[in-house]
Amino acid sequence: MELNINGKAVTIDADPNMPLLWVLRDTLNMTGTKFGCGVAACGACTVHIDGEAVRSCVMPLAAVEGKNIQTIESLGTVDQPHALQEAWIAEQVPQCGYCQSGMLMAAAALLERKPKPTDADIDEAMTNICRCGTYQRVRAAIHRAAGTTTATATATTGAAA
Amino acid sequence: MKRRTWLLSALGATGALVVGWGVLPARSRLGSGALMLPTEGDVALNGWIKIAADGGIILAMPRSEMGQGVHTGLAMLVAEELDVPLGRVKLEQAGYDAIYGNVSMILGSLPFHPLDSEGGHKPTKVKVGEWIVGKIARELGINATGGSSTIADAWEPLRGAAATARASLLGAAAAQWKVPVAELTVQDGVVHHASGQSAHYGTFAKAAAGSTPKDVLPKDRTAWTLIGKPAPRTDIPAKINGSARFGIDVRLPGMLFAAVRQSPLLGGTPGAVDAKAALAMPGVDQLVMLESMGGSTAGFAVVAKSTWHARQAADAVQVQWQQRAQGALDTQRIQAEMQAQLKAEKGFTFYSKGDADKAEAAATRRVEASYSAPYLAHATMEPMNCTAQVKDGTVEVWVPTQAPGMARAIAAKVAGVDADKVTLHVTLLGGGFGRRLDVDYVAQAVRVAMACGGKPVQLVWSREEDTTHDFYRPMHVANLTAAIDATGAVDSLRIKSAGDAISPRWMERGLPALAGPIDMPDKTASEGLFDLPYGFANQHIAHVATRMGVPVGYWRSVGHSHNAFFSESFIDELAFETKQDPFAFRAAMLAAAPRYLAVLQLAADKAQWGSALPAGHARGIALHESFGSIVAEVAEVSLVDGKPRVHRVVCAVDCGTVINPNTVAQQMEGAVIFGLTAALYGKIDIQDGVVQQSNFPSYPMVKLAEAPVVETWIVPSTRAPGGVGEPGVPPIAPAVSNALFALTGKRQRALPLA
Repeated sequence: MELNINGKAVTIDADPNMPLLWVLRDTLNMTGTKFGCGVAACGACTVHIDGEAVRSCVMPLAAVEGKNIQTIESLGTVDQPHALQEAWIAEQVPQCGYCQSGMLMAAAALLERKPKPTDADIDEAMTNICRCGTYQRVRAAIHRAAGTTTATATATTGAAA
Repeated sequence: MKRRTWLLSALGATGALVVGWGVLPARSRLGSGALMLPTEGDVALNGWIKIAADGGIILAMPRSEMGQGVHTGLAMLVAEELDVPLGRVKLEQAGYDAIYGNVSMILGSLPFHPLDSEGGHKPTKVKVGEWIVGKIARELGINATGGSSTIADAWEPLRGAAATARASLLGAAAAQWKVPVAELTVQDGVVHHASGQSAHYGTFAKAAAGSTPKDVLPKDRTAWTLIGKPAPRTDIPAKINGSARFGIDVRLPGMLFAAVRQSPLLGGTPGAVDAKAALAMPGVDQLVMLESMGGSTAGFAVVAKSTWHARQAADAVQVQWQQRAQGALDTQRIQAEMQAQLKAEKGFTFYSKGDADKAEAAATRRVEASYSAPYLAHATMEPMNCTAQVKDGTVEVWVPTQAPGMARAIAAKVAGVDADKVTLHVTLLGGGFGRRLDVDYVAQAVRVAMACGGKPVQLVWSREEDTTHDFYRPMHVANLTAAIDATGAVDSLRIKSAGDAISPRWMERGLPALAGPIDMPDKTASEGLFDLPYGFANQHIAHVATRMGVPVGYWRSVGHSHNAFFSESFIDELAFETKQDPFAFRAAMLAAAPRYLAVLQLAADKAQWGSALPAGHARGIALHESFGSIVAEVAEVSLVDGKPRVHRVVCAVDCGTVINPNTVAQQMEGAVIFGLTAALYGKIDIQDGVVQQSNFPSYPMVKLAEAPVVETWIVPSTRAPGGVGEPGVPPIAPAVSNALFALTGKRQRALPLA
């Protein structure tokens, strides 16, 4: 079976029922895409299929054959980071970091679709689970990358005067 | 020998030993350079610091990075003392010497009232307790990441080690250049002299290695350039491009994958097994039966060429699961039994002050309330996993763990080898929250690897296994009683709680050599109840330790996580019953606790406590000390479609000296979300032995759309650092519940909130 992953043709011999997540992780050793729940509930495994954010843990190979698959490994490079990656650093988003590949891929698909997202757009698109609770920084980083601002009160951090 | 005579002589001998050992100085934690890995071109100056040929610093890292920012925080301490940019500090996993043991975590288990030491001088009992336990902890050297203790523990020894290394390096430079050491300065790791000579640390490392200056003091805080200023986390670049390696990302040549199925009847065992169909499936290697190890429930693993193949086959294995011999676990029955024990037993008195009996007898009115909190799972995003290889009498383990020493010990035990035959690699942790203080999955991985003919195998739990086979935050119940006198003052507080003690169970399964024959009172059961800052003249705080059989473990903020809900909700009830504002009532009770009052005041000020809110919104406040830090939170809530929605949380924290304010803010934000998930949704039910929640749809989490905005305000402090990872969790449940009471007039006394 031939897959198109991050712009490269990859030929593999695999069960067409095997979810894309496990092909990426266990067959191709592309471990940036994470396993979190296996039931499309947490978003840790989010990749792009033809530009759409998709949860790869429930996506059988047969459904993605011939399609353009993009994983976190293709989201920018060290020299040319994606605007979201720069924003993620500026906002210091990750804590444990495990869910962040999925978060970034979901956010990247959102910005492709809506380059100037509102808070409501972000609420709707960003349904990934983060146990470290990085949500408000995720929101802030998406706005930063998009050059938009949040309608809700901006978080303030500081030392008491 | 008569029993009493024997006891007396045993005590005498122990006493002599303790006294003899006691007069020795406490074990130094500086350590020799031989404790670090010998690496080409690098020179170790002590057990913590190695100097690279290019002048870079290599730090022995004994703590696990699970999101709390310790890899950055400890590197900051070292960079500060050595005057190098943060980016020049690289990490190397520390070994197993006792110098790397977490002394602060053990000291945190002492059940002393924090106000006893608040005034700056410690009473004798506290000094003696800390002295004895501190010495024991230094000898035991338990290397673990927990109890929000990493910075507090490293504060003196790590800065001391870095300062000593610096003194050696400058001594060597002064000798080489024949100039007084006082004339040398360091900038960005380069030593300078006014004569114009300059060279980086690497130049002097070999000469410095011979000297160990004594009693070098760390920098004065006025000279700090890094500590206290927000620093970008060093682990973030790898966490935004998929290159960060968690335990589940370990990939080795020829590696196999294992799926685990433990008895769905918690604590049960497999009976008859039929694996014929499973073993005939493509890509499947073998079935390995798993006995109970490290507190796990027995079951089996299927080994295959991918996790997916292993899981498909595991689903096809037919097993007649058997209930545990003691009978099926059931949370409804457990709660009833716990209530019965709470009523029937006196429990252990953790704190007593004045005479609560007398105050209650003299009271004109009593306020009584019963609270409860359920079992909870940790639900780390990275499910439990471990990779192991057993070959030629040696064991190699790759594991995201909070307790590498325990992980190594159980790997050795399962494989039947000495601990020094085990090489253990601590990876990044995709969340810990206390779950990874247990090492059951390490034992399972080693057991499976032993059957794999020398090939490495990665064992990964499904989300369902992870949720249904956790070491749960224990269920607790409490009765609280306050006595109000004729003037309307609340002058006594009585709390009796019941629930399983975690520490004795954890010791039994993880550190059996240290587990005693009987359970000692466990501070975690009563923390957040016996240690309140409020000035009740009379208090009696007791806990009935139960043993219900559900596996229980440390869960972010541990006993505080439920006890703060009990105590801070009840304080709110007392404010209401005495017709006072919840903030003003607390403030009035904090006359003898100015540090607590300052935190409460800061949160109230920043939240504009008392100012008008949109219709349908209300605020609640809560204050709680845990792990040496005080946090107050003000939550603003409303009801959306009849369900609680938290819009904004203002968080004030006094965590002593702050290393990285960026991390403090991250941890407060994260703690609020973690605690809010528990407050709104968290509940593990067990029916007829089966855990009813299994994956995120049945064990839901707060997500972005419902996440409040969290503001963090830090009280400036020059005290030694307190904890940061956990103290933000306890106040959120009562703050939200108190806000809901303000909104609806209905008091909720059971978690999760409806």
